[in-house]
Formats: sequence, structure tokens, C-alpha cells
Amino acid sequence: MRFEEELVELLPRLRRFARGLTRHQSDADDLCQAAIERALKSRDQWQSGTRLDSWMYRITRNLWIDERRAAGRRGVHAPIDDAVTQVAGEGAAEVEAGALRGDVDGAMARLPDEQREVVMLILVEGYAYREAAELLEVPVGTVTSRLARGREALMFYLGEAA
Amino acid sequence: MSFDPASVAAFVDGELDDFNMRRIEREAATDAALAAEIARHRALKARLSAHYAPVLEEAVPERLRSLFTANDKIDTSLADRRNARARFSGIHWGAIAASLILGLTIGLRPWMPGAPVAIDSGTLVAAGPLAEALDTQLASKQPGDAAVRIVLSFEDKAGRYCRSFESRAIDGIGCREQDRWQIERTLPGEASGDYRQAASGELAAAAAAMMKQGALDATGERAARDAGWDRRR
Repeated sequence: MRFEEELVELLPRLRRFARGLTRHQSDADDLCQAAIERALKSRDQWQSGTRLDSWMYRITRNLWIDERRAAGRRGVHAPIDDAVTQVAGEGAAEVEAGALRGDVDGAMARLPDEQREVVMLILVEGYAYREAAELLEVPVGTVTSRLARGREALMFYLGEAA
Repeated sequence: MSFDPASVAAFVDGELDDFNMRRIEREAATDAALAAEIARHRALKARLSAHYAPVLEEAVPERLRSLFTANDKIDTSLADRRNARARFSGIHWGAIAASLILGLTIGLRPWMPGAPVAIDSGTLVAAGPLAEALDTQLASKQPGDAAVRIVLSFEDKAGRYCRSFESRAIDGIGCREQDRWQIERTLPGEASGDYRQAASGELAAAAAAMMKQGALDATGERAARDAGWDRRR
């Protein structure tokens, strides 16, 4: 009872998180749907009294990573990462950044998955570094360095006046 | 600039201890490069928040909602629904309030200029950004990164409007009296880290004990705000 009510309360935020990860509304809702189904099925694994939002975000994020890996193997949606800008060289990156000025979705799309999820958790969802590290099961130092790289890239793409 | 980029980021994210927060704040007052760097980080954060905020306002699609109704099939008899309602209005308030708080506490990375409380004729009252949040912010509609988060609004047993809130420095309950918010309960805020969850529970319990009925719903809260939190109006 309480579990489901809390989960319903969480839906708007979960959709926001998923939107940030997937960058598309329909993909985000597909991801939310899969995450909710997973959560309802494995609700016994949630410990009452702990944060349901973190638990849900972890499920959502893991499903998304699985999906990205599977898609990578199938050869669709090749992951876009910062290799693109490195290979293309600085001149091209500048041009690209110019074209992206003002386009948050486009800038987010250019972050590697592991930077994008950290940016979403900390800068948008307001998680503390330590909480994000626990959720992602990585050391805090990893979170802060991914965040720093993600931030710099976003500021670059979005322009000084970010 | 005398600070490394990681410290500036941690400052903007509210991740530094009070000592270092104040140190950077002070330094930024005279170091233009540092101030500009802080502004740049804040701008990015604000930009991202603003970009994703509209998702929170969208109606949740039916296909997501229906996942729950499909699961609720056993619970559709009238008696069950009545019981569910009774549970809602009764003793479970603390638990529900606690869960609401858990749901709402995320997004607390504020940077609060000015003191949140003041002493007025021997009474602790809300000031600055806290007073403003209590005056205007709706629990049902607040930005994810609001410096002060309103948790619940309710009418207390003395007939005053009260609002529980959380912020970086202080958590508590403010009650409207003589056109100001008297701070009735205080707990250390988010800055005190590990005690957070316990504090949230305590705050919810305190609010539940003060309530005349339940918390105001979104409509009730808006109406109360629009009337200036004045019960006579």
C-alpha cells in the first residue's frame, strides 16, 4: 500500500531523471515503465525505511545501462561520447559548440553515459556526492571527477553564459 | 584565483563544511575571478534545472499510471477503498508525512544568502529567504533546487497556519502569528549530514502532533497563501 503510493508520488521525478538519461520523451517513458514493472515485481527487495527514490533511480539507471549495452551490441544508437569531439579536433568542436549554444538536450547528448547520469543526479536531482556514489556503487572520487568533466563539457557546449 | 575548480564546484553544490563555505563566500566578495567562476557554475545548474523542470509539470502518461491500477485489482471493493481512506485520515499520518518528506527532500543544494531566522521581541521568527519561502512557496509546486523546501502546510490546533520546512542550515516548523512566521520547532538542517533521515522523521512526527486535521492539499495550500496566511480573511 504505502510502497505503491510512494512510488506514484515519485513518478514525476522519475520521469525527469529518465528524460535526462534517454533525452527522448518516449524512450524515457519506456524506461520508466520498465523500471516500475521491475520495482513492483521485486518490491520485497526494497527495505522499508530506506529511500525509495534512490532505489528506484538505481533500478532505472541500471536498466538504461543494460539497454545501452545491448543496443551497442546490436549496432544501433552507437553511444555518443567525448571521443567524437576529440577525434574531430578542436576547430570542429568549436563549430559544434557554436551550433549547440542554447541546446541543453544536444549538449547532454554529447556527454558519455557515466557523466550524464552524474550530472542528472547531482545538478538536477540534487543528490549529495556521497549519495550519488552510493546509488551508482562507485567511489565518491569517481563521482566528483565525472561531474567535473561533465560540467566542463556542458559549459563548453552551452557557451560561457551557460 | 586562490581556489581549485573542485572546491568551487563543491561550494556551488553545497558540499563544503560550514567553515569552507564561509571562507569561499568571503573570498568571492573581493576576488572577481572566483565570483565569476561561482556565477558560471550556478548559471549552468540553473540552466539544467530550468530545462528539466517542465517534466515535473507534465501529466504522468496513462500507460505508467495503469501499471499501478493493474496491480491494485484485489483492492477495488468499496469496503477496501473506505478502509484505505480511513487509514489515510487516521493514525498513519506520521508515516505518510514521513514518506512525503522523503519524496520532497531531494534537491536540497541551496546557497542561502542572509540569516534564515531572527529574534523579534524575544521570539524566534523566520527572516530573509526562509520567510520568503514560507510566505510564497507552495509545497505542491516548488523548484527542485529550492533553497528552502516546504514539506507540509497545515492548520494547527490553535487555528494557525503552520508549515514545516527543510533547508541547508535549519529544518523546522513555522506558524503564522502577527503577520510573521514564528519558528516553533527547529532541527539541524541538511548541513548536519547523517542525522538527516532521523531529523525528517522527527519533523514529520512533530507536525503530525500539531495538526488539527491533516495537511492542506494543493488547493487548500494555495488558497491559504493567497489569503496571506491570515485565517480571518
